[in-house]
Amino acid sequence: MRYIFNFPDIGEGLEEGTILEWYVSKGQLIKAGQPLVNMETDKVVTDIPSPRAGIIVEMFGEVGEIVHVGKPLVEIETEAEAAVETTTETPKTMLIEEGAAVMGTMELAGDNAALPASNEGARKDTESEEAVVRKALATPLARAMAREMKVDINKVTGTGPSGRVTKEDIQSYSPASPPTEIVEQAEPALPTASGDLTTYEPLSQIRKAIAKNMLNSKQSTAHMTLFEEVEISELMRIREKLKKTFADKNVKLTYLPFVVKATVQALKQHRPLNSQIDLEHDRMVYKNRYNIAIAVDTPEGLVVPVIKDADKLSILQIAQKIAELSDKARYRKLTMDDMKDGTFTITNYGSIGGIFATPVINYPQAGILGIGRLLKTPIVKDDQIVIGNVLPLSLSLDHRIVDGGDASRFINRLREYLSDPAIMLIE
Amino acid sequence: MIFNDFNPQEDKILRIIDNDGNVLNKELLPDLDNETLIKAYKAMLYTRTADQMAVSYQRQGRMYTFPPNLGQEAIHAAAGMIIREEDWLVPAFRELGVMLAKGVTMKEIFLYYSGSEHGSNFKQANHVLPICVPIGSQFLHATGIGYSIKYQKKDEVVFPFIGDGGTSEGDFSEALNFAGVWKVPVIYTIQNNQYAISVPVKSQTNSINLAVKAVAFGIPGIKVDGNDFFAMYVAYKEAFDYARAGNGAVLIEALTYRKGAHTTSDDPTKYRTKEEEQEWDKTDPLPRMKKYLENNGIRIEEEEKLIEEYKLEIDNQFSEAENFPPYELDDVFGYMYTDMPEILEKQKADYKLFQRWKENRK
Repeated sequence: MRYIFNFPDIGEGLEEGTILEWYVSKGQLIKAGQPLVNMETDKVVTDIPSPRAGIIVEMFGEVGEIVHVGKPLVEIETEAEAAVETTTETPKTMLIEEGAAVMGTMELAGDNAALPASNEGARKDTESEEAVVRKALATPLARAMAREMKVDINKVTGTGPSGRVTKEDIQSYSPASPPTEIVEQAEPALPTASGDLTTYEPLSQIRKAIAKNMLNSKQSTAHMTLFEEVEISELMRIREKLKKTFADKNVKLTYLPFVVKATVQALKQHRPLNSQIDLEHDRMVYKNRYNIAIAVDTPEGLVVPVIKDADKLSILQIAQKIAELSDKARYRKLTMDDMKDGTFTITNYGSIGGIFATPVINYPQAGILGIGRLLKTPIVKDDQIVIGNVLPLSLSLDHRIVDGGDASRFINRLREYLSDPAIMLIE
Repeated sequence: MIFNDFNPQEDKILRIIDNDGNVLNKELLPDLDNETLIKAYKAMLYTRTADQMAVSYQRQGRMYTFPPNLGQEAIHAAAGMIIREEDWLVPAFRELGVMLAKGVTMKEIFLYYSGSEHGSNFKQANHVLPICVPIGSQFLHATGIGYSIKYQKKDEVVFPFIGDGGTSEGDFSEALNFAGVWKVPVIYTIQNNQYAISVPVKSQTNSINLAVKAVAFGIPGIKVDGNDFFAMYVAYKEAFDYARAGNGAVLIEALTYRKGAHTTSDDPTKYRTKEEEQEWDKTDPLPRMKKYLENNGIRIEEEEKLIEEYKLEIDNQFSEAENFPPYELDDVFGYMYTDMPEILEKQKADYKLFQRWKENRK
C-alpha cells in the first residue's frame, strides 16, 4: 500500500517549513522512526522521522524549497514491510492513504478560534451563527457554480423566487471576509473541462514564495525609484578587448560583472544603501559585507542567488560566479546557502527587454538596481549630436532609509564608474 | 539530619558519586542491593527510551507538543523508588519517570499529548494529579492535600514538583509559606534544569541557590546533585522519613540539566552554546550510574536488546493511544464542575450548533 506522509505541524501553528537536507533517496528502504529530512521552520530546525517503514517512492520538494504544513513530503510503499505493518491496519477502501499529519490545526480557524473565557468577552453571536447555519435555496447548477467560484452559497443573499440564490447573485457576491477556503480546508482546484472561461492551476512552491516576498516588500517598505542613463562606449571598448582573454578561460564576459563591481564600489561610499532598518529596536543595521544578489529568470520563476563578498572578487571571478549561479538556478540546484545573506540586489531585465522599470526591493535590503536594454541612440556630446551607447538604470530604494539626495549621489557615482571604468581602478 | 550537613546558605551540595561513578562519600552511600540498583537503572533507561520515542512521534505529526525529560531521569528514578502507592504525586509536566513509577502508562501519556482527556484518567495509578501546565499552581494543590492528610491523620506524603522558573511565581512562595506554618507532610522538589524555556537561572533569582529559599519559610532545604541517583535517593529517603514522622515539609533543589528542548516547539540552540551542553553531558545520570555499576561488578545484561524490547512495548502502547476513540464533546466540558457555569453551557451549545452546521454543509 502507498502511504503519503504529509508535512506535520511540529510547532504549534506552523504554516510551512524549508527543506535543508534530505537523508533518504528514492527507492531506499527505510524503518519507522528513521529520519527522512531536516527541516527549518519558524520555531525549530529539526529532523522529521518517518511514521512508516517501507520504500521511498516519491520525495516532494528539493533542498531550499518551502513545504506547507499538510502538503506531501514523501510517498512510501509500505507493502515491502507488509508483514510488520498490516497486522494493525484496518482495511482501507482507497489505495493511497493520506497521513493524518495536520495536528494542531483547528477545523475552523475563523469565528470559533477563540472562545471567550469569561462573561466579559461574551459575544452577540446568535445572529451570526444563525446566518451561518441557514441553508440557502438554490438550483444544483447555482450550487456547482458557487463551488467553482469558491463562494459559500449559504452566505449569498438570494433574489430569485422565494429567496433562491441565482447565478447572478453568485457572480455579484463578494465575501466580506476570506470565504470558504478556510472552512473547506483547501479543496484542490482542478483544471476545468474545455470550453470553460477559466482554468485553475495550483500554485508552485516557487510562485508562492515569490508572491509572498513581493507582497511583503511592497507592504513593509516605502518604495521610490530613480531613473538615469549612462553612456558606456568606453566600457564597451574595454569589454571588447577583454572578451577574448575571458573566452580563453571559458567565461563569457557580459556587462553585468562590471555593473556588480561598480555597484559594490559605490555602495562602499554610500552605506545606507547596503543596510537595513530595524524599527523594532530603533536602529540601523549596516552590513559590512557586500553580498550582491542577482535576479535570475528560470522557467519555474524568479530566483535570486547571491554573490558573496563581491567586493573581494575580480571582474573575472564575478563573471565566473554569475555563470555558476545561473547554471545552478537553471538546473534547480541552488541551496539555501546560495540564496541567503544578500545585502543589495541587481536585476538585469534589459538582457531580455525593457528600458526602465520600477524593481521591487528584495526585502529587507535597502535597494535594488535595474539594468535596462542597451540603446544605440543619438546623444549630445560637445554640443554635437553623435551616436551614443546608453545603458538605462532604474534604482529602487527604501525611502525610509535613503533620502532622495543620497539616492542621486549614489547613482551619480555609479554613472561615473560605468562611463569611465578607469576611475574604478584608482579608488 | 543530613539536611543540616549540607546547609544551602553555605551553598553546599549533596553529591555521592562523581561523573565517573567513583564514590565520593562512602558513609553516605545508601545500602541498596544489586537487584534494586539494576531496577533503578532500568527505570531510567525506560524513561529515556520512552521520552525519545515521544519526541519522534511528535515530529512525525502523530502527537501534539511534548516536553522532553532527557537528562533528568535520576531525579525521577530516586523519587519513584521512595514514593508509595498511597503517597501523592503532584507533577508539573516534566516528571515522566515518577509518573511511570506510580503506575501511569505510556499509553496514557501519549493520549494526554494527543489532546485526549482520557490521558489524565490514570487507570492503574493511585493518587496522581493530572499534568499541570500553568506554572506553579500545583504547589498550592500539594499544600492543600498535605493539609488534608494532616487533618485526617493519614499516613501519606505528597511529592509535588516544579521547575526553576516556577520558583519566581507567587504560588511557590504562598504554598511554601503555609507548608511551613501548617507543618504539612510534603516534599517539594525543584527540578533546577538551568532554564525556564530560555531564561537562565541566574536571571531568575539573586539567591545563591534555590534551596536556600526554604530558610525564609522555616523548613529544611537542601541542594542535591540531581544527576546523581544515589544523592537523590538519600535526600528523598531522609525527607520522606522526616515528613512522615510529622515534622513538616521539606524543600529539595535537584540540580540537573535539561538536555533536550523546553518543548518540541523550542530550539535551545538559540539561547545556549554547544560547549555548555558538552560540559553538562559529562554529568549525564545514565552513563554515570552505569559506570558506578561497572566499577562494582554489577552488569546490565544486553542493554541494546533491552532497549529494543522497550521500544516495541512503547510502540504498542502508542498504537493503542493512536487508535483510541476520539474524545467526545462532553469530555471537554464534563470534568471540571459539578454544576457547569453559564458561560460554559453556552460554549457547549455553540459548539453543538457548529457541529450541526458542519453536518448540514456536506
